[in-house]
Amino acid sequence: MEESYSIMVNEDHEFQLTQDDIIPMDILKTGENGFHVLKDGRSFHIEVIENNFNTLQYSIKVNGTEYQTSVKTPLLHLIDKMGFATNGAKNVASIEAPMPGLILDILVKEGQEVNENDSLLILEAMKMENSITSPRNGVIQSISVHKGEAVDKKQVLLTFE
Amino acid sequence: MDSKLRTLQERIDQAHLGGGEKRIEKQHAKKKLTARERIAYLLDEGSFEEMGILVTHRTTDFGMDKEIYFGDGVVTGYGTIHGRLVYVYAQDFTIFGGALSETHAEKICKVMDLAMKVGAPIIGLNDSGGARIQEGVRSLGGYADIFYRNVQASGVIPQISAVMGPCAGGAVYSPAMTDFIIMVEETSYMFVTGPNVVKTVTNEEVSSEELGGASTHAVKSGVAHKTSSNDATCLDDIKKLLDYLPQSNKEIPKHKPFELGEEVREELSNIVPDNPNKPYDMHDIINGIIDYDSFYEIHKDYAENIIVGFARLGGRSVGIIANQPMFLAGVLGVKSSQKAARFTRFCDAFNIPLLVLVDVPGFLPGTDQEWNGIIMHGAKLLYALSEATVPRVTVITRKAYGGAYDVMNSKHIGADFNFAWPTAEIAVMGAKGASEIIFRREIAVADDPEAKLKEKEAEYADKFANPYRAARRGFIDEVILPKNTRRKLLKAFAMLEKKEVHTPKKKHGNIPL
Amino acid sequence: MKKILVANRGEIALRVMRTAKKMGIETVAVFSEVDRNAPHVRFADEAFCIGPAPSNQSYLLGEKIIGVAKSLNVDGIHPGYGFLSENADFAEAVEKNGITFIGPKSKAIRVMGSKLEAKEAVKDYDIPMVPGIDEAITDVKAAKKIAAEIGYPILIKASAGGGGKGMRIVDDEANFESQMERAISEATSAFGDGSVFLEKYVTSPRHIEIQVMADTHGNVLHFFERECSIQRRHQKVVEEAPSSLLTPELRNAMGEAAVKVAKACDYVGAGTVEFLMDADMNFYFLEMNTRLQVEHPVTEMITGVDLVELQIKVARGEELPLKQSDLTITGHAMELRVYAEDPLNDFLPSVGRLETYTLPDGEAVRVDNGFEEGMDVPIYYDPMLSKLITYGATREESIQLILKAIEDYKVIGVQTTLPFGTFVFEHEAFRSGNFDTHFVKNHYSPEAIKEKSTKEAEVAAMVALKLYFEDQKTIQLPTN
Repeated sequence: MEESYSIMVNEDHEFQLTQDDIIPMDILKTGENGFHVLKDGRSFHIEVIENNFNTLQYSIKVNGTEYQTSVKTPLLHLIDKMGFATNGAKNVASIEAPMPGLILDILVKEGQEVNENDSLLILEAMKMENSITSPRNGVIQSISVHKGEAVDKKQVLLTFE
Repeated sequence: MDSKLRTLQERIDQAHLGGGEKRIEKQHAKKKLTARERIAYLLDEGSFEEMGILVTHRTTDFGMDKEIYFGDGVVTGYGTIHGRLVYVYAQDFTIFGGALSETHAEKICKVMDLAMKVGAPIIGLNDSGGARIQEGVRSLGGYADIFYRNVQASGVIPQISAVMGPCAGGAVYSPAMTDFIIMVEETSYMFVTGPNVVKTVTNEEVSSEELGGASTHAVKSGVAHKTSSNDATCLDDIKKLLDYLPQSNKEIPKHKPFELGEEVREELSNIVPDNPNKPYDMHDIINGIIDYDSFYEIHKDYAENIIVGFARLGGRSVGIIANQPMFLAGVLGVKSSQKAARFTRFCDAFNIPLLVLVDVPGFLPGTDQEWNGIIMHGAKLLYALSEATVPRVTVITRKAYGGAYDVMNSKHIGADFNFAWPTAEIAVMGAKGASEIIFRREIAVADDPEAKLKEKEAEYADKFANPYRAARRGFIDEVILPKNTRRKLLKAFAMLEKKEVHTPKKKHGNIPL
Repeated sequence: MKKILVANRGEIALRVMRTAKKMGIETVAVFSEVDRNAPHVRFADEAFCIGPAPSNQSYLLGEKIIGVAKSLNVDGIHPGYGFLSENADFAEAVEKNGITFIGPKSKAIRVMGSKLEAKEAVKDYDIPMVPGIDEAITDVKAAKKIAAEIGYPILIKASAGGGGKGMRIVDDEANFESQMERAISEATSAFGDGSVFLEKYVTSPRHIEIQVMADTHGNVLHFFERECSIQRRHQKVVEEAPSSLLTPELRNAMGEAAVKVAKACDYVGAGTVEFLMDADMNFYFLEMNTRLQVEHPVTEMITGVDLVELQIKVARGEELPLKQSDLTITGHAMELRVYAEDPLNDFLPSVGRLETYTLPDGEAVRVDNGFEEGMDVPIYYDPMLSKLITYGATREESIQLILKAIEDYKVIGVQTTLPFGTFVFEHEAFRSGNFDTHFVKNHYSPEAIKEKSTKEAEVAAMVALKLYFEDQKTIQLPTN
């Protein structure tokens, strides 16, 4: 049975790999922490910045860009699958401020039905008025900010039903 | 030759399957990990070394000789957690429901003996239907062999139990004698007699969960020191707990590297309200004193009028005991005294310094308390603290009234450094009660007894509702500003690091059990 | 002129001070409370805190800045760009207080600051213009009518504006009202003046501008063009000089037109005349920016002049040391504005601490930078970290140099426009020179950047797993 590992990279890419994917890799050690990889004819210069076997986290520079990777073993995968992980994927239930700023205007009311891409609020940051649009169709459950309020990054602005 | 090597591998592969894939699936369906998965998650990746993987039982009765599984329902061995050596055993529910046989017990005893000889913690992951009935008394003997070792190990190496499935009958007494029990919510239960027997004997209808589930033991009985929402968080909790503990009673817990600065915490200044009858959350003071996010609370939901737990102070592991004014004004009662006494003894046994935060109006009055032996249980805390030889520091934040003042790590019972905040009131009782007694006659003959009482109350409060009388007598070593508390404590504990106390030679004391 | 105060912050403050130091002039910095640790404060000979972080309580306080200047016996104030640079009242107040304003006279600022007056001023000079209205408007209903007359698409622009603030394009009538309201509101909060202009929106336009410099002796020079068509949110992000599009004839024509515009308002100092060029190579006068532009370095690279040095000389009343015939274009320069913005998320400002911040270097690389590792990117100001400029013998060489420089530019802690730069400089449309101001809309999508990083991320994942397997094999001894 080939065990599958999932590797999270920078929290936005996830790859499912098995030992069979790794064995044929064309990788050449070029220094204490340096490697050179050829993949599909393309050249990748690798520098291992940090490897922590205990936390299963490896920080790897590829062609000059640093990537934070974490290896999820089949056991950790199972634990996720059994619902033991605390933060699973969720349907967008709330809108968070994408950056710190000032609420210039609130364009919706609680209970209002909105469509995807409707403007919900206007957030001013760095002198720009940014229209925060709805990521989905839905009904506004609550609005937790008021006009003129300064908000922090990631502060919840409003929630959907 | 080749085939011999292959035989070994085949046996190991078979052992790794435990009770077989079907039973593993069943275990997973019950939201439970298997014994091997639990160990793999608990220990550092790849650090586990198993002992006795090829052990099988010796029973031939009732057709048992046809049901042989490698390992016999328990996985035992050693490994590391954050690089630290630990011994571990995990009962395997997929083999005979984790039922304990003579050989199963022998395996557990073997790692316990090693843990004792080497001096490293032992962690037991319990998930067992009970004794292996087919074996009869041999199985009971197995239990007792474990109990005996639990007691021998007590106070020598930290013993941590996780209850991650059933644990019933005699089996409960092994975890009961270890230092900490962590139970998994919904999938675990512990009781001496199950719901069926309860029904027969007392005619009570009760579910397993209600009778002995995690929340029952966390809230009602205090048997569980902590509950966790699932297997993974339970194992995480064990790892976190272990971080505060030393390998054995011969060591002090490892300091975490910590970079110190000014260590003044302004947030401590505004926690205690002006009105002495207003409650506040003692957690705010604890968090204001300790390294941020370092509090690991024990018995969080049991006897909430006292808080106990581990924390770090400048990277140093300390045990904290603190009255909680939010619940019953922070009084000492039967349960809270017991809770704090047991925690005190653990810390003392394992060289963990004690910090006692005091805001106590006295002992809880009432027939319920008296008939349940508050005298005896209060004495436990008094005894445990008096007996403790680890560094002991006290901070009185507000009330320290009557006998409870003495009990809560007063200077008189051997505390090393006693601080008080300017808000402290160290007195025999509150101003109102005291005035009513002292000035009873004067008040009775007054034209306006109400006003007289108020006047006398103010007079008493002015004289005694402060820390200065006690400081004058030297019962308080220093009155400090709240914001400097962390700073003062960091220095006090560093100063006390090499504290040594020689107690009279005795077999053991006689704590009022 | 012995002492100059720079009424600005960030890279431009540093850039101006460098030239001043080179000329043996002392420098004074002003700063807000959050900028105490900013490099421009340490670079200056003297520095004064002028108030809290919000710019209307610090960098926009003209009176206060003049007060500081007077108390320190400052001879000249350089306003940089943004903030007070195009504030005629400020320029006037500076001069009234006996201090030289290193920039044009307030009259020229006023004329060019108002689109209406600007059009009026250049009317007699035969400069081509985009169809539109001659007076600023705030009445939405009336504006809608006018828009219908001009014909959609319509461009709404703040009359006092610049830098894309208060600017909106409206494709059809249905969106007109809401877009105009936004533009008015944005303009009001950014400039204190909500009136806007309407004009025909030129499709497929190129943004080409001419650098000019005039002295007080009646000499006006132009320093050729800058191509600024790569924009996001109507703000320039990639600039180059020269433009790959212009013929020498067209270049001359535009240069002469620009000189005329400068003359029309008796211009003094450095200024930029912006033109829009349509697909048929017709150019229209857009506006004149009466300040040193963000993108001035590309002009400096190809002409070999220090524009700030010339500014100071002109302000001292000297004659320009050059003639038009002395000026030639040598080589090709590229500039990328490195903003703390997330190109994967609609170029929204990305706030945070610069955990890692390493600049590229090299002979052909110039970085006009205002930040250092460990600094926070404040939310109060423009999120530009620096300008990355490269200079090569040819356009191709300069592109290759900037691609390499982007690779060497390390920023961790905030998202930046660096990956977007790579995307632009590698893009076929940019390389061939066949692009317009809609480049982002037409060619860019975050996926394009993501795809590249996905390939690298996959390699990173594979290497990580390989390391994991190797670590797994290594024996680990328990310690007690």
